[in-house]
Amino acid sequence: MSDSLIVTEKLCKTYSSGGNQQHVLKNLDLTLQNGDFTVIMGASGSGKSTLLYALSGMDQPTLGSIIVNNQNISKLNQDQLALFRRKHCGFIFQHINLLDHMSVLDNILASGLLVSRDKKNVVKRAKELLLKVGLLEKDWGKFPSQLSGGEAQRVGIVRALINRPQIVFADEPTGALNSSSSDAVLDILSSFNEHGQSIVMVTHDLKTALRGNRVLYLRDGVICGDLSLDSYYNNNREQRQHQLQAFLNEMGW
Amino acid sequence: MKLWNLALSNMKGSRSSIISLFFMIMIASILLNVSLTIAIKMNTFFDNKFEQLQEPNINLLLDRSDEQQVYYDYIKQDPRVAASEREAVIWAAGRFSYGENDMSIGIAVQQAEQDRQLSPIKLVEQSSEPEVTNGIYVPYDFKLNAGYQLGDSFTLHIDDQSFHYTIAGFFESAMMGMHNTGILKFYLPEEQFIKLEEHTADHGVLYSIKLQDSGQITGFLNDFTGEFPDPPGRSASAPLFTTLDSDIVKSVGSMTINIITMILMAFALVIIAVALIVIQFRVSNHITEGMNNIGVLKALGYTSYQVMLSILLQFVIITLSAGVLGAAISYLVLPVFGSVVTTLSGLLWSKSFLPLINLISIALILLLIVLVVVMSSLRIFRLPPVVALRGGIITHNFKKNRFPLDKAKGPLQLLLACKTTLTNMKQNLMISVIVTAITFASVFSVVLYYNIGKDKTAFIHLVGAETSNIMLQITDAADYEQILTSLEQMEHMTKVAVLDMTSMKVDGQSFYMNMSDDYSKLNNQLVYEGRYPKYDNEIAVSWVVASALNKTIGDMVEVEAGELKSNYLITGLSQSISNLGQMTYITVSGAKQVLPHYEGTLLNLYIEGVDNTSFIQQLKAQFGHDITNIIDVTDTIQSQSKIYTSAVFTVMVTVLVITFLVVVLILYLVIKKMILQRKKELGVLRSLGYTTFQLMSQISLSFLPVVVLSVLLGGGLGAIYTNPLLSVLLTGAGVRNVQFIINIPLILFVCIALILLSYVISFLVSYGIKKITTRRLMIEE
Repeated sequence: MSDSLIVTEKLCKTYSSGGNQQHVLKNLDLTLQNGDFTVIMGASGSGKSTLLYALSGMDQPTLGSIIVNNQNISKLNQDQLALFRRKHCGFIFQHINLLDHMSVLDNILASGLLVSRDKKNVVKRAKELLLKVGLLEKDWGKFPSQLSGGEAQRVGIVRALINRPQIVFADEPTGALNSSSSDAVLDILSSFNEHGQSIVMVTHDLKTALRGNRVLYLRDGVICGDLSLDSYYNNNREQRQHQLQAFLNEMGW
Repeated sequence: MKLWNLALSNMKGSRSSIISLFFMIMIASILLNVSLTIAIKMNTFFDNKFEQLQEPNINLLLDRSDEQQVYYDYIKQDPRVAASEREAVIWAAGRFSYGENDMSIGIAVQQAEQDRQLSPIKLVEQSSEPEVTNGIYVPYDFKLNAGYQLGDSFTLHIDDQSFHYTIAGFFESAMMGMHNTGILKFYLPEEQFIKLEEHTADHGVLYSIKLQDSGQITGFLNDFTGEFPDPPGRSASAPLFTTLDSDIVKSVGSMTINIITMILMAFALVIIAVALIVIQFRVSNHITEGMNNIGVLKALGYTSYQVMLSILLQFVIITLSAGVLGAAISYLVLPVFGSVVTTLSGLLWSKSFLPLINLISIALILLLIVLVVVMSSLRIFRLPPVVALRGGIITHNFKKNRFPLDKAKGPLQLLLACKTTLTNMKQNLMISVIVTAITFASVFSVVLYYNIGKDKTAFIHLVGAETSNIMLQITDAADYEQILTSLEQMEHMTKVAVLDMTSMKVDGQSFYMNMSDDYSKLNNQLVYEGRYPKYDNEIAVSWVVASALNKTIGDMVEVEAGELKSNYLITGLSQSISNLGQMTYITVSGAKQVLPHYEGTLLNLYIEGVDNTSFIQQLKAQFGHDITNIIDVTDTIQSQSKIYTSAVFTVMVTVLVITFLVVVLILYLVIKKMILQRKKELGVLRSLGYTTFQLMSQISLSFLPVVVLSVLLGGGLGAIYTNPLLSVLLTGAGVRNVQFIINIPLILFVCIALILLSYVISFLVSYGIKKITTRRLMIEE
């Protein structure tokens, strides 16, 4: 049985604009387990991305606490959060966000060398991961503008994994990809999850959500549904799809 | 109206860059207005002052015992003379305290109450007490540069006698009112004047001559000294007539002011150039970033001309408002430079409103900016709406992955900074040009200050003064050879050099003639091409004289003194600021060809290991009877050069302050823009775990290579080209080859200070990213 990875207590996030306050997350109590592939779903504006950014230390909550490995990250300042992210988190973005002026390899090393000074080993791991996600040596010197969307997102995944993070946060990682590229990217994520990598992913796509073993449904800043599924590799995909479909129907999706 | 709205909406989006641009144009406007106002007012400043103070064109001074009725009769009868006056004065070599030093100079003491048509006394300040005991009226320069106040005691030393006075007033005078022309006048009330006359033997006469046309000065003086030459046997250093004319006064008074004006104007142009580069950068960015908007506007039916006009309009608004404000502020700044003019000329600078100059300055800046905006936005005309809507044609031309992280050596932050540097080449080029230009200007001003304010040797040499320690004038009756030998044998004496000056005719024109026993002994080597004369048939001339005579090295000239003439071969060309650059040089033996009885009378003494004052006492004790005058040269130079020091210091501070502001503004502008442009990238880096400090370091470091290279380039150019540039600036003043000391450690200090300043500014400006949360950095455009 997996142990607790992230625990939130009374987590709130409020945005203020022109005197108006918008409560995006409302008193969320949530526990995420180590090794899980957690999927966060919900309608547009339900607070999915806000929750993801709060859990990952990309943004600070307005109220409440977020405990990661017994460390309350809600009390950390920007720089402490940066140190937390580089040690514990990996990020995969919908718009990939590779650095335009760096090659594929440099994009990964810009993250890897930030944590480890052992350049030789970091470079070795980067190359191994690149090969693992199907990017051959001829692609390593390319710039992001010379890659297809799928290829770029695979670089994004390698970048997220280079520092062996405890958790990988993925914000609609296939949102900007075509169907075949999406499958390839999701296969990579599933494969890493199978090897014990914790993943928290935001999506509004049923097919993508099927990769998770836990699905949280958010509505108006509150978790109104929490579904546990078998592992993606347990060969009972049809049953899982029915389960998820029923859950989402119940949630009014 | 719609264009106006478009322009305003363009401006709203980039407040910080508009503010920095506004400041830069304002600074340029201030500098341009100040320098143009001074330049234009200086054209007529001296003429107006001469008119206002009813000054004569020529002052002639001679010993009363030498006066003959024919001299003044000649003046009165000359048709070129519009008015003239003769006045009995005390005409002596005087010494007095001036600032922290003593000054030895020729003085003419006049009677205060006397009625005068020419140069009537014009008091700027006078004591409110009705009767000041032992009152004396001194030039206004004494208040400005020597720190005297009304009621201060003032001791005048003449012929080893001391006369004690109280300053009763300061007067303004163009002729003999400023020590840099070599003669000063003072006024004493009748009672004091008579008393002084009784106690000294230095009774003189002053002829003041106003000509019909100031262009006739040289002609009149040539004819007068030709008619009444120095009698044979008269000491060359004590001619019959000592002359001062308005051309010399204007030249000496305006030289430094002109240099300062030129520096300010050049610096204003540098700032305008900086503003133009920034505008070009901004317009270019505006078009690239707003490509989509341009597409939309074009699709809506706006013509390319209208789109360009909307961009132009915002710069016109900024330029006009900054230009007008700059012109207004220039009136607050002008008194500072007005006081510099007053310090250098001893004449009061009057405030005046010159709207035409303001209009010209603003129009000039506006014209340049319109040109740059139009040139930079021409590509709008080549953009079809559909291409613009697609964001234009953006080609990625990454030929090489510079500083690959897997192979390049060095810390990660530095490598990432290097990547950023190479990615923003266009922007770096802009920074490079600007930083190079302002570093050059800073080095130029610092070198100028160092040579005029700190180590003055080169400047003093430029002015033409010999930097000996003591000048000794011996009587005509003294045994020259014996005194010279005794002097050379004195303890602490390193060398003795004869250097006399008189006036002689060369090929029929009057010029100043230097005479020395050995020019190689002099510290101040003014010949820059060829050599000084060594033999009695050789002569060196300044290039001003060479041009006037249309002669050069290797040509012969005829020198005439009194009734004797002799031919000399030109061996060298010299330069000098003093006496309008009209200098000639022959040897003592050469001088004897035309002045057979001439012996050197003015000796320059160079001493070491002893202070001037005690050595002067020693000289007096040893040669008392043979000496007519002793001058402490070190002290005199120190006191006379003070005015230049403060003037150049003002310029240096102005240039350095503006350099500081420009560096701050440029970096602020560029880094703000960079943060906006790289917001997403910075967000990604932050999400990867880079701290604010690391990102700030990265941004600051990315500017460092270009700043370091540009500062070194600007510093190098400053070191190499300051002297040639000064030579060009001073050509009009008689200088061809400026040899100012280029103090490399000082230049390095300026360069390092600029680099550190840039780094600190970049670091502080990039601190702005701290306020933005990681998520906002990524999601906001």
